[in-house]
Parts: sequence; structure tokens; C-alpha cells
Amino acid sequence: MSVIDILTRVDAICNKYEKYDVEKQKNLNVSGDDAFARGYAAVDAEIEAALEKAELASKEKSKASTVALNAELRRTKAKLLDEVPKLQRLAIKKIKGLSTEDLAARNDLVLALPDRIQAIPDGAAAKQPGGWGPSASHTEIKFDSDGRFDDEYFQESEQSNQFRQEYETRKRRQDQGLEMISEGLDTLKNMAHDMNEELDRQVPLADEIDSKVDKAASDLKNTNVRLKHTVTQLRSSRNFCIDIVLLIIILGIAAYLYNVLKK
Amino acid sequence: MSSDPDKLVAKADKLTKLTLTRWSADWRNATLNYEQAANAYRVAKKYGKAKDAFEQASKGQEMLSSPWDAAKHMESAAALAKEIGNWNEVADLYRRASELYVECGRAQPASDALGKAARAVEDHLPDVAVQLYTDAISLLEEDDKDQMAFDLYRALTAVYIKLEKYTDAAAALLRLGLAADKSSATNSQFKAYLGAIIVYLYAHDVKAAEKCYNDCSQISAFLGSDQGRCGSRLISAYSEGDVEEIKRLAQSSTISHLDHAIIKLGRKLPTGEVTAVKAGTEEGEGLDENDLT
Repeated sequence: MSVIDILTRVDAICNKYEKYDVEKQKNLNVSGDDAFARGYAAVDAEIEAALEKAELASKEKSKASTVALNAELRRTKAKLLDEVPKLQRLAIKKIKGLSTEDLAARNDLVLALPDRIQAIPDGAAAKQPGGWGPSASHTEIKFDSDGRFDDEYFQESEQSNQFRQEYETRKRRQDQGLEMISEGLDTLKNMAHDMNEELDRQVPLADEIDSKVDKAASDLKNTNVRLKHTVTQLRSSRNFCIDIVLLIIILGIAAYLYNVLKK
Repeated sequence: MSSDPDKLVAKADKLTKLTLTRWSADWRNATLNYEQAANAYRVAKKYGKAKDAFEQASKGQEMLSSPWDAAKHMESAAALAKEIGNWNEVADLYRRASELYVECGRAQPASDALGKAARAVEDHLPDVAVQLYTDAISLLEEDDKDQMAFDLYRALTAVYIKLEKYTDAAAALLRLGLAADKSSATNSQFKAYLGAIIVYLYAHDVKAAEKCYNDCSQISAFLGSDQGRCGSRLISAYSEGDVEEIKRLAQSSTISHLDHAIIKLGRKLPTGEVTAVKAGTEEGEGLDENDLT
């Protein structure tokens, strides 16, 4: 392990266990009863932490965590901005043991605070299709970015450009397909209408055919019945003829016999 | 019975001629002979003789008081006359056939006969064809068979367009619309109206086209229909002088569903100057502003 590493590690450990450093605390406590100094120190510390987080966010690869970190940053900034007016009031108060120069200095410090808070970089969503944009729809919803859209985060990245192009091509292709479908449907609709009219035209014709065929069928039935009667009658008359013929034969035979017997 | 048609005809003639020995003509046998002779001639492709034979047969049937058979024979005669190319005679024969059908009380075949006649002569005697079509249409309309008349109307429109009588063509289309309205054939009706508008525009009579569109818009269903929308877009494109729009509309599918003759006209739109119309409408507006009455 190199010396640099050791130094950094020592620094980190010291920072972590600062509160156990009695001497340092004593120094801090000098300004302990000074409310302004305390508040100011707190705000300062928060700003530092926020800046660190911003650094981390810009180095982040995953967009989701970047977004989450940025959101936290914005929340912190909002909180700090609220604290600033309180500090301003404290700054004006005169405290014993404080020189006039210090007072002026404090005022300047407080005034510088809001700028420092705003300077903490956080980002809003870049121009991604379907992502957030500047709130255009609802007046009550405010984004913390306050309209600074020329920041690096908002510029089109190559990825988003490609995405948008792909989206456009696909949309165009879909539109073409839909147009073809629409034309086909148009033709179908026209043909269906024409078929409808044709069928309407043929309905009375079919009715006429129906009635005519019914009439013809009943006529045929009638004729059949009459024909049956005639045929049965004919047959019976035939039977009658056969009877007569047989009778004549019998008479003939009787006459012959009579002739034979008479002789 | 000899199968030689000449002999048959001679025999039939003899049967029908009144002489000292024959006091009444024997139409039944004569007609039979004439029919056989006519068929034989037709097979032998002697169209002139066949036509004559059919005419005689028809007369025979008339004498036998069966107008239906008479009409049928007359139609066959007319078809043969068509083969010969004697157009006037074709028209006459078909007319006679149609009259005989009307005698039977059957309007449909009568109008069919006239329709066939018109189709046969439309290339050679278009005016006669127009007359025949109109008669056919009136026959059907008298008999309340409007729907059958649609085809005749369309054919009539085609003939008018060929004769370049565009107002008549548009009028025919509007009558088609009326007939369609009576039989509630809305699709045909709207297509007829759109066709009429296109015919007016083709004749470059934009005012008439606009008036036509306004008249047709009285029917609310037309306004909301495909054809109505297409018509309104055409009219507005004309009044704005937008040639591209007109061309685009002419290629649209709505127009492609219309009659062939009308599609051809539509594709040729716009005819003549389109921008002139715009100035005309502006003048009109100026007058209105100054006119405070």
C-alpha cells in the first residue's frame, strides 16, 4: 500500500471520528452559543455533503440511481434554501464579542449561501422520448431544475437520438401498413354494399318464383289426383270388359254344347 | 317433312296464302314450318333468310294469339339482324318484340329486349341507343321495378359520356340517384351523386358541380358518407385551386369504386384552369360586404 493510500485512509478515519476529537470540539464550541455560527456551520456541512453526492451522481452509470440521487439532491437544496432566510435574520443580530467587520462578513456569507446552494449540480431528465420534460401540462407541478435546460444532462445523447429515429421509422412503417389495410377494407366495404343491394334486388324475384312454383305444384297435385281417378276408372272398365268377354266365351261354349247335345 | 328450309318456307307460304281452295290460312302448321325453316337457316348461317323466316314465324304466332312466342321469335330475328349488321332493322325488330312482351303484360322482358337493342346499336347509332335506353328505363319505372333500372341508367350515362353530352350524363346519374332512393339503395345513390359531381367538374362547370353538391347534401346521409366527404373535398380543392389535392383525390379509393366511365373522367381531372375559380368567389364576397340590404 502506498503512502497516499495511507494518508487518505487516515483522513477518512479522522473525519469519521471527529466528534471524539476533544480539542477540535472545544474550538468549535467557541462559537457554540452563537446561533448564527452554529446554523451556518450546519448549512455549510450540508452543502459539502450535497456536492459530494452530486459528484457521485455524475459518475453513476445506472440511470435509475442517478435519478434517485438527483432527486435527493434537489430535496436537500430545497431544505437548505428554506434555512437561508433564518440565517439571514440571525446574521443581522448583534452578538457580544463580535466585531463589526465580522458582522458584515456574516451578512455576505449568508447572501452567498443561496448561490452556493443553487450551484450544486443536479439534473432533471435528459431529452428522452417518454421521459419527463419541463412541466408544460400542470401549473402546480414544479420541477426543481427551474428551467435550466442547457445543462449537459439535457443534451441529446446519441442513445436517445437513435432511439428516437428507430421510433420514427417504426411508426412510419406501421402507418404504411395501416394505409394498405385501410384500402383493402374500403374495397371490401364497397363490395359488401353492392352485394347487399344485389340481394335486395333479388328478394322480390325470389318471392315471385316462390309463388309461381307453389301454384305450379298445386296444379300438378290436382292433375295427379284426377289422373288417378281416371286410371282407376279405366282399369275398372277394363275389368268390366274382361267380364263381358269371358261371359261371351261361356255363352259361346254353352251354345256349342247345346248344339252338340241337340244333335 | 323435308328438312330443306327452302321447301319448308315454300310449303308454309302456300299454307298461309288464301286461294280458292283454301278459305282460311292454316297458321298452326305454317308457323311450325316457318320455325323449322328458320332454325335450319340459322344452322346454315344464312342469316338473312333465317331472319325472314323468324319474322314470319312470329307473325304466325301472333295469329295464333300467343304473343309470348311471337315476341320470342321476333327477338331471335333481331339477333340475326345484328349478325348481319342492319342496325335500323335491329332496332325496329327489338322494338316490336318489346311491344309484344308488353302485350303479354311482362315488363321485364320488354325492357330487356330494348336494353339488348340499345347495346347492339350504341356503337353505330348512339342517339337511337339513347332513345332505346330511355324507353327501357321508363318501362321498368312504370312497373315499379326501379332496381332493375340501375344497370340501364349506368349504360345510358356511358353513352352520354361517349357523346360528350355531360349535362345529360349528369342528369341521368341524378335520375339514377332518385331511383336508388326509392328502393333505398343508398350506396348506389351516393355513388351516383358523386359521379354526377365529377361529370360536372370534368365539363369544367364548377358552379353546377357546387350546386349539385349542395342539392345532394340535403340528404343528411350523403353528407356523412364516404362519397359525400370526397365530393366536398373535391369542391373545396377546386375553389382553392389546389391541383395537387385534386389529383390526389382522383386517385383515392372512393372514386375507384365508381363506374368505369366515371373513373376515367375522374383520372383526367382537373381540366382547364383551376385557379380562376378562386378569383370568382372572392368577387362574390366583396359584393356581399358592400351590399347592406
